[in-house]
Amino acid sequence: MAKKEIRQLAKELAKNHGYLQYMIERYISLWGEEDTLKFIEACEQPIRTSIRVNTLKTSAGMVLHRLQKKGVRLEEIPWLDDGYYADFSGSSPGASLEHMLGFYYVQGVPSMTAVSVLDPQPGDTVLDLAAAPGGKTTHIAQMMKNTGLVISIEQDRQRMSSLQSNIIRCGATNTMVLRGDAKKLDNLPFKPDKILLDAPCSGEGLIPLDPTRKTSKTMADIRFCATREDEMLVAAVNILAEGGTLVYSTCSIAPEENEYIVDDILKRYPEMHIVQIPSEFGSPGYTDPYGIKLNESLKLSRRFLPHLHGTEGFFICKMMKKEGNTT
Amino acid sequence: MELVDPIDWGSVIEQIDIEFGAGVTKNLLGNRVPVTMSRGSTKIFYAIPTDWMSRLIDTAETLDIQFIGKELGSIDKGRFRLSLHILGEMTELTESCIIVSRRGAEAFTYGRSIIRESVLELNTSLVRGQRILVLNEDRECLGIASLSMDASKLTRMGADRLVAKNLVDIGWFIRRLG
Repeated sequence: MAKKEIRQLAKELAKNHGYLQYMIERYISLWGEEDTLKFIEACEQPIRTSIRVNTLKTSAGMVLHRLQKKGVRLEEIPWLDDGYYADFSGSSPGASLEHMLGFYYVQGVPSMTAVSVLDPQPGDTVLDLAAAPGGKTTHIAQMMKNTGLVISIEQDRQRMSSLQSNIIRCGATNTMVLRGDAKKLDNLPFKPDKILLDAPCSGEGLIPLDPTRKTSKTMADIRFCATREDEMLVAAVNILAEGGTLVYSTCSIAPEENEYIVDDILKRYPEMHIVQIPSEFGSPGYTDPYGIKLNESLKLSRRFLPHLHGTEGFFICKMMKKEGNTT
Repeated sequence: MELVDPIDWGSVIEQIDIEFGAGVTKNLLGNRVPVTMSRGSTKIFYAIPTDWMSRLIDTAETLDIQFIGKELGSIDKGRFRLSLHILGEMTELTESCIIVSRRGAEAFTYGRSIIRESVLELNTSLVRGQRILVLNEDRECLGIASLSMDASKLTRMGADRLVAKNLVDIGWFIRRLG
């Protein structure tokens, strides 16, 4: 499709559906007209509620039984051990006794998947960057069975209280919460085996959850976020132990915040390489978004997209740091 | 963050053990080390694995630690307040508890106190002013209350009389986070 045609079509779609024009232009360039229309339609549909059973406090069987008695309909999520779609039939998932007791955490499927991909093991030392409000920290703690050490870093004072509350509610006792800048990790007295960087981003993938995002961000915002994401990822790469695993994720659709960032890291840090994610979900990452050729191994990363997977938009990339001197 | 002052720790042990039973504090600590952090006039106590201590001893001052390990509680104006973090463990360690009906449990998690008609079981040796765990019929801990009367007088009380004042409950998680 010629640029002029794209612009014309984008102008019309943006006007009809309440988006900024540049966003639709980008979607058409990335996916074509048909998938862009599917995306727009999918963003008008509610995302299914999902929960993670908190095995630090109880068993899946117990929670499922109690919620089903209350009329909640549950469906397993195939690639997640403790993740379930949950239809609360209009009642608030956060108001139940079981939620107050910390038996489950209301969490998006892609967020649960990011931790599942990281695969933290008992005894590990794991770093969770930009940790608030604590969904991934508590998931990591759960997978480690409250052993080892989870270091959660959060800069925002106000978000800090929600992080601590969720740690208490979920009964995680292997965490250390630090207030600090995730771009500056040099003075950390630990070399983590695993790092999860779910980076603050433009949040374009969250349009199904928050329609204001159709018009709240500009390309300048995306570039700003990309710069910050790169800085955080560089800091994470530098502190990661040799042989360690780093999962980079965002809730952005923009390749500038996802594949471009990782591609640049692979060029600058040859000791880092992308690894295969063993479970089946989502679709492959892009290796030539907008016709720009990137590292072929980016096809091993994964995307969630509203029109393909019924979730919020998300990007997950698993990398490892080679052992020994590779320069 | 620093190792706990022995005098402070003595006070913590005394306050917990007197109300919840001898040895409770020792069991809560397990094989962890108590540490403390100050927030204004409040001192918060945590229990952390001993191997963390060796990693942190030289660097704790350079880190802005906000929370660590297992939060035991805090001392403010001399009074130790138990953290919600340890309620589940406390249930297994103490007889100082009250069991309430479903209706009483719901009211309690809304921040209300406990009245006579909600009480299903109460240890008759407990006394006025004593702090107790509040459990539902499934023996799940909903929070902590303070007895308003000697437990031995329970049977003489009217249905709507106050039995225990709510000090903290798990509904706080919703009220705090919205």
